[in-house]
Order: sequence, then structure tokens, then C-alpha cells
Amino acid sequence: MPEVSLIWIEEAGLEGLDPAKAAKKAGVALSDGGLVEAAVVTTTEARAPRSLVNRLKGYPVKWLDLAAEVGGGPLALRQARAAAAVARAAGSAALGTMAQRYTRQPNQEVLVAGRGLAAVAAAHQAAALGHPVLLALETTRARAACADEKPAEVKRALAGLPAQVEVVTGTELVELLGAGGDFQARLQGPRRTSRRRFGAVVLAPPSAYAVPGDMPATAEDITLPVSRLKPKQYQGGEQWLQAAVIAPLGPGATAHGFARAVTAALALQKRPRVQVTLFLGEAKVASEGGERLYRDARRQGVLAMRVEPGGLRVSRDGRKLSFDDPVLGEPVDLRPDLVVLSEEVTGRAPAWLDNPLVTTAWDQDLPDHPRLQAGRTARSGLYLIGGARGAAPGDPRRAQAAAAAADLHGLLSGEAVAVPAVRDVLCASCLTCVRVCPHGVVCYAEDHIAPAPAACLACGVCTAECPAEAIAPPGWSNREMIASLAAGLKAAAGDKLVLFACRNSGMDAARALSLAGHQWPKGLLMVPVNCAGRVGVQLILRALSLGAGGVLVAGCHQGNCRSLNGNLRAKLRSGEAADLLAQVGGRPEQVRFMHLASNQPRALAQAVAELAQTAGEK
Amino acid sequence: MAVKTIKTPAVIIGGGVAGLAAAIDLSRRGLSSLVVERGPRLGGRVADFCCKATDSCVRCGACRLADLVRRVAARPEIAIYTSAKPVAAEADGDGWRLTLEPQRNNGPAPVVELAGGPLPRRSQVQAGAVILAVGATPFDPSAKSRFGYRRVPGVVSALELEGALEHSLAELAGGRDPRRVAFIQCVGSRDESLGHLYCSRVCCGFALRMARVIQARRPGTEITFFHMDVQTYGRAWAGELAEMREQMNFVRAMPGEVTAGPGGPQVVYAAGGRSQTAEFDLVVLSQGMRPPVGAAALSQLFACTRTSDGFLGSDAEPVASGAAGVFIAGSARGPMSIVESIEHGAVAAAAAAGHLQPLVREAAHA
Amino acid sequence: MLLNDCDPGFKHQVAAEPGGQGIKACFACAACTARCPVAGHVEGYDPRRLIRLVLLGRREEVLASPLIWLCSTCYSCQEVCPQQVSFTEVLTAIKNIAARAGYGPPATEAVIDQLAAHGRLLEVGEFENQRRTDLGLPEVAEAPAHFQKVLGVEPAGGKS
Ligand SMILES: Cc1cc2nc3c(=O)[nH]c(=O)nc-3n(C[C@H](O)[C@H](O)[C@H](O)COP(=O)(O)OP(=O)(O)OC[C@H]3O[C@@H](n4cnc5c(N)ncnc54)[C@H](O)[C@@H]3O)c2cc1C
Ligand code: SF4
Ligand code: SF4
Ligand code: SF4
Ligand code: SF4
Repeated sequence: MPEVSLIWIEEAGLEGLDPAKAAKKAGVALSDGGLVEAAVVTTTEARAPRSLVNRLKGYPVKWLDLAAEVGGGPLALRQARAAAAVARAAGSAALGTMAQRYTRQPNQEVLVAGRGLAAVAAAHQAAALGHPVLLALETTRARAACADEKPAEVKRALAGLPAQVEVVTGTELVELLGAGGDFQARLQGPRRTSRRRFGAVVLAPPSAYAVPGDMPATAEDITLPVSRLKPKQYQGGEQWLQAAVIAPLGPGATAHGFARAVTAALALQKRPRVQVTLFLGEAKVASEGGERLYRDARRQGVLAMRVEPGGLRVSRDGRKLSFDDPVLGEPVDLRPDLVVLSEEVTGRAPAWLDNPLVTTAWDQDLPDHPRLQAGRTARSGLYLIGGARGAAPGDPRRAQAAAAAADLHGLLSGEAVAVPAVRDVLCASCLTCVRVCPHGVVCYAEDHIAPAPAACLACGVCTAECPAEAIAPPGWSNREMIASLAAGLKAAAGDKLVLFACRNSGMDAARALSLAGHQWPKGLLMVPVNCAGRVGVQLILRALSLGAGGVLVAGCHQGNCRSLNGNLRAKLRSGEAADLLAQVGGRPEQVRFMHLASNQPRALAQAVAELAQTAGEK
Repeated sequence: MAVKTIKTPAVIIGGGVAGLAAAIDLSRRGLSSLVVERGPRLGGRVADFCCKATDSCVRCGACRLADLVRRVAARPEIAIYTSAKPVAAEADGDGWRLTLEPQRNNGPAPVVELAGGPLPRRSQVQAGAVILAVGATPFDPSAKSRFGYRRVPGVVSALELEGALEHSLAELAGGRDPRRVAFIQCVGSRDESLGHLYCSRVCCGFALRMARVIQARRPGTEITFFHMDVQTYGRAWAGELAEMREQMNFVRAMPGEVTAGPGGPQVVYAAGGRSQTAEFDLVVLSQGMRPPVGAAALSQLFACTRTSDGFLGSDAEPVASGAAGVFIAGSARGPMSIVESIEHGAVAAAAAAGHLQPLVREAAHA
Repeated sequence: MLLNDCDPGFKHQVAAEPGGQGIKACFACAACTARCPVAGHVEGYDPRRLIRLVLLGRREEVLASPLIWLCSTCYSCQEVCPQQVSFTEVLTAIKNIAARAGYGPPATEAVIDQLAAHGRLLEVGEFENQRRTDLGLPEVAEAPAHFQKVLGVEPAGGKS
């Protein structure tokens, strides 16, 4: 085992602490960063001086955000906490594992498949970032636009593509395996099928306008959708021409759909002796210029009529609309000469995406996930953009494409943390990791488990769930974590407690508290994890058997976990650990789980205080 | 004393979520940047927002700030000056020359957690591109005096409620335990009389999320939601809204005024064609956004245009400013949510990188 | 009510009348009603409702309604309206149209008749002039012609 050195970097939050004392207590040697075998540095890699980072390249180094863990209070207490944190980091550094980054170089080529402005813009942006791009258009080149787009606009964008973009037409992506850094795609061309590998894949499936399903069914001969409306064809005579424009009424109505309906109403109202009644559920004016447009339409004479859900009824012959005027509270009828139905953008992800054997954890509802923006999907390296992702035609699609391109570029150039190491001798080929990896990183190919090279976010879910201890992102194996728990708890003073804190929530909250001088219980050991899902039953029970009086797991709120359901796994496993504890005569309250966000430090402080009290009750 | 000149490809004015997102995306594109933040800390408006999750995350986006800060910290290409603002700017060849002035910030120094720190002295910056990410300004509800803000006890702004959500609401309600809470929407938005002919887009969701938090913490609290139209987007809202309509009292009417009553603020509103009065413990005014306070000065400084709503930029293009090499990011361009501001920051970064590309190439050849 | 039977041109007519320009911008927020002091006292008087009737084109109903004459011109509605509808002014426009169409309110009609007949609100007859003479004041002659011209009406009773 290599000897571990402590490299101490002064920074805010560490004032007054004695590095030598901390090193001694933790059983490591204090070093100025000179010759080392393995090291613990008291700051993060980003904050450390560049020269030090370069010097330590290739050594087993644990970057420790010590200031985030120590907190305030009397010096002796802070000194003890610092020593325990250093010991914890040293525990795994002593095993000598290095962060093995990019053992396989990620493929830099990008596949953009689909059609429309989003596809062309994504190809353009990815090429601008230096990636070779294959733009596989489903259609012939001249008709590359989606049904809801202006063909000229898309044509212009196509003409402006840089040379690194190879464009093929009439080609569809029919199968996709792998994840970030190494995708294997099957492309169906007009004549033949080909297989090709890519580092990242952007899907921009076709989108179109469609009339929402909950529209009233008026007579066919007087009804048409907005996209088929030619306002110039209409004008009244001696009798006014009565037109009804029906904006999206249901709960899914969007501002884009509303704006389209209002635009149509305004155009019709401008015609001679035409009176438009605009039916709407809520005036969805939350779009750029939406309120102005709505005002202009009313000023032109459009009659805006709010109807409650289900409040717009049609006569049997489909020629009379009945509703209650919300202002007068009276029933009103209208026999329209023309009914214009609004439309919403619709688009679907390709059907094969829903196949759980091809991609893990894809879910149509994910677009609302706060951590899956920029077109990201649950599968790392795979993006879904455009109308299928709810983006309206034009600038919103360009914006989504730009964001997705930047994101995939980040991934392919090193933002993915590591490649999980698989120990084939232990692997039972049970495929648990393939099944549980929230990011689709782990594939089974050529008789063994093959993780993609630039996709793993080191969430550790696979490690927590693997029954054979065969897979772990570097630095996060059971062996390393247990060693660090053992060393940390041994060095901890007073009543021992363990806080497993997700770096996306719990650790941010802890850091804010520490830097604001919060005084933690003396014996509290913080264990940062990239996702609470790393904390399985085993780690919790180990923490207890190594002397912790209580364990708290802090993960993100439901629906906010970057690894989708790592937090719920953690909650489940914490519950199991508590049950096991109860079965052997322990107190289940010693194991707790909490949902937390980075901006909820007070909740964390309170939960830790309560845990300390429970542990102290014995 | 010699004025120091900092050379950087891009300078970003404003360290809110849009500015930080732009800096990250520039750095992903291999371009360094300098973020100049007037205040003592990064994050802008979002740094004051708490989590509004109840049973589960309600997708407010506030915790995205921590993600951004972590990523900024991990990227040495991003330099930061807090407590600094541009006081002069001139177009200089293909780029811009800015003069930065240190700002005095009252109150306790923030916890410094990133590389960089307060601007020590007046400095010059030479940059190829400028991104203005100065944010929008919240509407001051006292400009709508009939709603009683700062006149009637128990009338507060949405931002004040936000600030108290994690602490005590009773203090806001003048010591009363708030069991009856009213929200009044569109205060300062959708209002032609103020020249604000736009919807602020975030305040409906903001108010409803806070209402949910209040009900979750104090079950049985009566919530009344005075509004004209509900603006929420995203698939998840459809179901949530239906639930909220059961739990809260949605009143589709803009109140006429708020007056002081014996038991708390009283809201005068119309129902059934006549004026009604209802008493509450707390009345929350959902203020919207208005163009950044410094918009006029900034548009003069950088020769950039304003949208028809008075924000920075132009109606026709999402991030262009009318001035070569100057781009707009985030809510300085118009009302947008946190998530939208982050995406907009990415677009501004892409545009700035496009502008810088020929310059970078030239420099490589020279 | 069948919307087809209403007069879509009515709102344009009101908007074309001086003071009526703002009417079509109304988005029915009800702030005006909340603040209107008359709405609080007179059943059925509701600014937002009156605007709605105009927008729907229920011409006769509006013009014949006694409610349009009840506004106290306090300008409260105008003050609170976020759409600058200026209901007080709008109502003036409506009243002008109503009057032209012969829908004066009964009290006002009586006043008009009186002015047209006598040139003043109080009749001056022999008795009054006798009193004036007693007090040393000059006699007054009724001169309704001027008012008849201004009001564009014929004297009702025909006493000249
Ligand atoms: C009442 C209210 C409620 C909201 N609720 C929500 C919500 O629930 N969900 C949601 O998604 N969004 C919400 N928002 C919107 C959210 O605040 C914005 O989307 C977000 O803050 C935009 O980020 P930004 O970076 O554009 O601007 P800001 O966050 O405003 O940041 C701008 C930064 O620029 C700095 N700056 C300004 N001028 C200068 C200068 N001259 N020099 C240097 N620095 C300068 C400022 O100090 C600030 O730090 C709300 C907004 C308001 C007003
Ligand atoms: S650590 Fe997480 S992202 Fe990486 S392979 Fe395992 S489960 Fe997948
Ligand atoms: S998105 Fe908002 S509600 Fe969800 S966890 Fe983050 S801060 Fe909380
Ligand atoms: S988001 Fe809601 S409260 Fe805000 S301006 Fe729009 S409609 Fe009004
Ligand atoms: S306040 Fe103005 S917009 Fe609102 S209902 Fe009255 S007239 Fe219409």
C-alpha cells in the first residue's frame, strides 16, 4: 500500500486549523506536494493551483473539499472534524486506485438524424464545435422541413452548412446501441443498410401541427384547421360572416398554439364584414409578443370568449355552438359560417426508443425534468430535440439545437466523469448493471459487460446494485468506500454519525452551511457521493458496524435526481437497511433518508441535529 | 497608477444564471471569458430562491444554479470579478474596450467560493465579444398603489414571500398566523396603462408553487388566487393544476383595491357583477418583470437596440443586439424562466463564438 | 341568445364615437366593476357587463337600458383599468349614440321638453312677471327658439 501524503491548501473555511495536527491524527504524512506516492489534497481539483494539478497527474489523488466538511465552532472541534475528513479521504487513496480516465478514446463523430430546422441547426452547431457530423435526413434534400416549418427557412439553413457536415438523404436511423462516446447505429438508406459508430446522437424526429383531440366536432363543410385557413377567401355580404376560431382549450394548451389561433382570428377579423369569436380556455399569452398580439386582435374587433373545460357544446348537426358567456352568465348560441380549429405542435420520439432492451429508462414525460434540459435524454450522449421535444418552430428549435450541441461537445471532451471498471472474473452476467444504469452506459456486447467511454456520470447505481461487486466507476468501488469509511470513522471523535450526501443536493447544502460557520456534531463524517443511489444496504450496514450511531442519506427530491431514480433507490435501500436493523434488535431510526435540494441548508442542519439526538439516546 | 488591461475573448456582464451558462458554453467551445458581476455574489435573482418541492420536485429550476456554480468552478477558463460594473465602453477594431469600476456593496461579504473575487481597482478589459446578461428588474408593486403595498399591513410582494417561505410567514402577516392567504396575479404585467404589454411568464408558476408549499406546511390554509389566465407550461402542470383547483380558490377577477380591515387586509373584487370584499391574513402581489433598470444606460454604452417591450436586444433576433460583437443573454432580453435563461445563455454563447471564430483564426495565423 | 342576431358593427360604432376608442381592448378582468361605487348600490349596474353587451353587439338592449345613465362619472373604473378602456368616456360615447337614437332617459327627456318649450327649466308666466314687477325687476320673456335649435327638437306642448 502506498503511503499517503496530505497536501494542505489554505483557503476560506480552513482558518486556524493546524495541518500538521490533522495529518498526525489522520495517520498521514504532511507534504508540500513534492514527491508523493498517493495524496489527499484539501481542495478541489478546480481550485488547486495548476502547477500542483500537473505535478500530481498520474498519482492516486483524492481531492477533498475540506472547507465544505469542517464547518464552524470551537477550534478543537473543527480540528477533530478536519482530521476525520482527511482520514476518510486517505482511506481510499491508500488503496492506490487511480482515476482511470478515458481508457478508450470517445468517438468524436456526431450523428444527427431526422429532419427540419432543429436537425440542420444541430448539425451546424456540432460542426462548429469541431465534430465531424453525419446529417441523416429522412427526406429528400429539398423537402427537409418538418410539416410545421417554413420550407424556405430550412432550405437556407441547409445551404449554409459547413463542409464537415456530410448530408445523406432518404436515410433513417433504425437501431441504436451504446451510449456517449460509442454508439452503434444502423442506418437504413434508400438502397442499403449500413452500420456506423458515433460519439453522440441527436434525434430530431419530424413534427407537424395537429388539432388537439378535445376540439368540438363541428360540421365538416364549415370546419378547417388553422394551417389550411386562407383568410383572403372570406368576406361577409349584407349578412356578417360569423367565424369561430377555437384556440386550444385543454390543460395542455401552449402559448404557441394560442398565438397561432389569435393570429388566424386577427387575419380573419380584418376581412370586410367578418366577425370572429375566439374561443379560449386560458389566454396563454406567455410567449414573446403574445400579449400584444392578443390585444391587437381585440382592438380589431375579435370577440374573446372564455369557455370552461367542456363548456363548448355542438348541436347534433354540427352547425350550432352553445356556451355560457362568462361575463353575462347567460347561455349564448352561435351559428358559425366558418369554424377554424387551432393546432399544436406534435412530434413523437421514434418508436424504437421505447424499447427497453435498446435504451434504458426512456420516458416521454422526461422533457419536464429540470436536469434533462438542452435536449438531453436519460441516456447519456443521446439527445432528442425539435417538435417532439415541444419546441415551437423557428428560434426555439435553433436554441434547443445550440444547447444540445454544446452539451454533447462537453460530454465528448471530458465532462463525463469516468469509465466504470468491470471485473470480468467476478461478473456473473446477471445484467443488473445494464438494467439499472440510469444513463444507458452499460451494454452487454461480445460476451461481456461493455460500458461506453464518455457517458458514465459515476452515479454508482450499478455498484450499489451489482450482486457480485463486479462494476464500479473508478474511486467508487465498495472496497474503496468501505476503506474510507473505516479510516474516517476510526479517526472521528465523539459520537459517530455518517452523512452520505449527494453532490447535486446534500453536499451543496452542507457546503453552504459549513462556509456560513455552521457547527456540525463533532463525530459527523460526511461522505460525498455523486448520486444517493450509490449508497446501498451494504454501505449503510458497514457504517453502523464500524461504529456509527446513525446514518443519514441525503438525496435529491423526487423528480429532480440527475440519475432519474437514484434517489428513490437510496430511499428504498435505506428502508431495507432500517428493517434489517430492526430484525437484529437495533433501532431503525438510526438509518434515515431525506429528500433535499442544494438550496435547503436549514433542512439538512435540522435533520443532522435530529439524527445526532437519536444516536445519542442509545 | 497604471490602469491594468485584461485581455479576454469574451466579457460577460452579469453573473446570473444566463451569464454563468454563457460562460460555461464558451469554455466548452474552448473560449475563455471574464464574468463581471455588480453584486457581491454570483447567481443573480436565483440565488435568493428556495426549493419549493413538497412531495416531489416542482421543477422551479432554482437548484440548477448550484449545478452551474459547480461547473463554473471546475473550469479554469472562466475568470470572475464580483463587485464590478462597466462604466465606459468603446468599439475597438473587431472588439470592445471596457472600463470596469469597483462597486461598493453594503452588507456582509459573501462566502467566496470561486476563483476570482471582488475587482480590486479600476481596470480596462479588451474583449472580442460582449454578452450582456444583466437580468430583468422585478416590478415594484408600490407603483400600483391601489393594491396597498407599503400602505396596508399584511400586503407583501411575491419576492418578499419567497424570502420568508423558509422562515416565518407570521412575521410577514404582522404577527398574525396566516390561515387565509390571497395571491393577486399580473401586478405590473399585462398592463397597458404601465406600458407593460407583456406577460411576465413566470409569476403564475411562482405563485402557485409557493401556495402549495404554504398548504403543505400548514394544511388547511385557505388560498385564494386572483387571476385572469393561468400561464403554466410543461406536461406535468396539467395534472397538478387540476389538483390545485380542488385545493385552492381560483377567482378569475382582477381586484379593484386592497384596503386595511380590522382583521387583516381586505381585497375588493368583483363577483357576480358586483363588488365584494374578502378579508385575508396575507395578500401577496405577484409582481412581474420589467426591463433592467440600467437598460437605457447600457444600450447607450454599447450602442444596442431595445425590444418593443423595452428590454435589451431586438424583436427580430433572439440574442443579437444591433451592435457588432454584443449579444444579449437571459431575462435582460425579456421575461423568461430560469431554465429558459440557461438555454438562452447557450444561444448567446454560440453566437458570440461565431463572431469570435474569424478573430481567433486570425490571431492563430499572426 | 343567438349571437348571429346581434350587431357586430355596434362596437365599431361606439369606438368611432369620441371617447369610445378604448372599448374593444377590454379583456374582462373586472377591476372596474370591483371599484365602481354605483355597481355596489344599483342591482345590474356593472361596467364590465355593459362593455360586454356592446362587444356582443346587443345594440338595442344597451341603448335602451336605463343603466347607462347611472354612471356617477367618478372615474374609478378608468383609474384601475389595465387596458386603458376609459369606461367613463366610453359611456359618454354610448350615451351620445343613445340620445341620437332617441333613447334619452325619461328624466332627461322631460328636461329637454321643458327647455324646448320654455327656454329654461322654470316656466315664467304672468304670475311670475307680476311678482317681478312688484319687486322692481324687469319682466322676463320666454325665448325657447334658441334652445329648440340647439336641441334640434320641436316644442312638445306647442305653447308659444
Ligand atoms: C418575482 C419573480 C419570480 C420568479 N420566479 C421564477 C420561478 O419560479 N421559476 C423560474 O424559472 N424563474 C422565475 N423567475 C425568473 C428568474 O428570476 C429569471 O429567469 C432568472 O433570474 C434570469 O437570470 P438572468 O441571469 O437572466 O438574470 P438575473 O438573475 O437577474 O441576473 C443578472 C445579474 O446581472 C447583474 N448585473 C446587473 N446589471 C449589471 C451591471 N451593469 N454590471 C454588472 N452586473 C450587473 C445582477 O447583479 C445579477 O447578478 C422569477 C422572477 C421574478 C422577478
Ligand atoms: S456509475 Fe452510474 S452512470 Fe456510470 S455506469 Fe454505473 S450506473 Fe451507469
Ligand atoms: S427544481 Fe426547484 S423544486 Fe425541484 S428540487 Fe430544485 S429547487 Fe427544489
Ligand atoms: S405569468 Fe401569470 S401572473 Fe405573470 S404576467 Fe403572466 S398571466 Fe400574469
Ligand atoms: S378594468 Fe378595463 S379591461 Fe378590465 S373589465 Fe374593466 S374595462 Fe375591461
